[in-house]
Amino acid sequence: MRGRILDSLFRRMGEDEDPFFLTGDMGIQLVEKFQEAFPRRYLNVGIAEQNLVAISAGLCNLGYRPFAYTISQFMTLRCYEQIRNDVSLHAYPITLLGTATGFDNAPLGPSHHVLDDWGAIRNLPGIDIYCPSAVPYAETLVDKVLAAGRPAYIRIPKGQFERPSSLLDTVYLEGRGAGDLLVSYGGCVQSCLEVQGAHPEVSVLAIHRLRPLETEAVEDALRRHPRAFVVEDHFPATGLFNTLCQFCVERGVRTGLRSVGTLATYPLTVGASARYYHEAFGIDVRGIERAIWG
Amino acid sequence: MVDPVAVRKTVLRMLYEGKASHLGPSMSVVEMLIAIYGSLDLARVRARSPDRSRVIVSKGHCAAATYAVMAHFGLIDLDRLRTYCQDGSALAGHVSHAVERVEHSTGALGHGLSVACGCAIGLRSRGYEGSHVYALVGDGELQEGSVWEALMFARHHRLSRLIPLVDDNRISSITRTAEVIDMRPLRDRFEGFGFRVHEVDGHDVGAITRAIREVQAGSETSVILCETVKGRGVPFAEDEPIWHYRTLGEDDYRAALAHLEGMEGEA
Repeated sequence: MRGRILDSLFRRMGEDEDPFFLTGDMGIQLVEKFQEAFPRRYLNVGIAEQNLVAISAGLCNLGYRPFAYTISQFMTLRCYEQIRNDVSLHAYPITLLGTATGFDNAPLGPSHHVLDDWGAIRNLPGIDIYCPSAVPYAETLVDKVLAAGRPAYIRIPKGQFERPSSLLDTVYLEGRGAGDLLVSYGGCVQSCLEVQGAHPEVSVLAIHRLRPLETEAVEDALRRHPRAFVVEDHFPATGLFNTLCQFCVERGVRTGLRSVGTLATYPLTVGASARYYHEAFGIDVRGIERAIWG
Repeated sequence: MVDPVAVRKTVLRMLYEGKASHLGPSMSVVEMLIAIYGSLDLARVRARSPDRSRVIVSKGHCAAATYAVMAHFGLIDLDRLRTYCQDGSALAGHVSHAVERVEHSTGALGHGLSVACGCAIGLRSRGYEGSHVYALVGDGELQEGSVWEALMFARHHRLSRLIPLVDDNRISSITRTAEVIDMRPLRDRFEGFGFRVHEVDGHDVGAITRAIREVQAGSETSVILCETVKGRGVPFAEDEPIWHYRTLGEDDYRAALAHLEGMEGEA
């Protein structure tokens, strides 16, 4: 998915003089074309995420629209104060492109598990947050953030998922009959779709734009279902579950909102793939089914 | 020319009326800031021309000195300085872009030099080759690792339009730098990173200005190390770590003001 997002950025850089691409020495065989085609708007700052973000802020001072690219964990937490002071405080239209979500980097260990990134960014004012669940929507993101002109964080899952094919920020896939609602984002949407395939009465709400939430679409979906289950590869305490708890309280939405699984710690055991951790923490298809039907 | 003694009197009043700290670091940078702002094309700064030179005050806690110098150069209304650290004012105790013609908010150390690098790259990419980016950095601030990320970057990209000036007052927050992290001699640290080093008396506006012109005329990645005295111009505060945080009582203020008035005309 990251390649398709970078392709759309490459296209926009050919049309527009302001986008500027920066990498923290990541993206082999993806970023080289930026250097070749746009040498004055490409920087590899090296393994230096604080510098990556603060240099982006300096470029904004000159009217550029920087896109900073590295692994999600380092894109958000290593340089958190730079994002706070140099991006959020100045409302600079910098886009943080974070690669990998949840357990995409499963065997690399907890330093590379992305479980607490957007919950941290959510704490900072004025930064839009996206986590696409499929390629068609992901390909619209560069245009979206350039049009919005605000700070943004795009959390990019691994995978070339084609469903849902909708380009909407919030996608409601209604089930047949009165079933429960699964609410999810990013790669976990695929598990929700699999559950829906086996149990057509279940509805799925895929939220591509986590902040700001698309109020009407989210509220409408939640009001249709007495029970909603949040499926995410991020700590629920600061992720979508927490976000929706606040949303429901503020909007007066009375629904049985539950978090699926037990993700609350950094795992020290190795998983060869994300599947291992999804099963261990109960955010796989079986875990979702257990949460709904016991 | 802007008179350093007049600026110090302004700073003193701001800190006293605002019941504010950071007397020591505000007094050490007065001549550096005068040399920096004196090197700018102020008309372009006022007009916020895209090709203007930029000033990034990375040691944001010398806000009183920054605002005072800007006011003496006509970039801020002098009367407005009386709102420093007062309810509802934009003039906080750390440099803020809420104040017109301030390029970037600082306060957390180790940010400004990287931002200045971004500005320097931006000037180069936009083709504004005649403009510069001045970055005022503290010697205690050099303890932040991010500063060295920026220095490595600046050297690698040969950012000759970036002009870092280090306020070498030899005291960081509560302790002498030599007792915290001893990096002396600073010249060796910067030369080791490939910088051309200019060492000047940080209280000599003429010497700092000449060093700035020399950097501007060259094409090397350079740094200007300014040897200063923390609390300069206030005898009881000079080279005393406590005056990083201590605020002025009335007796302190009167004594310091009398001393500065005695210095008037000497500069």
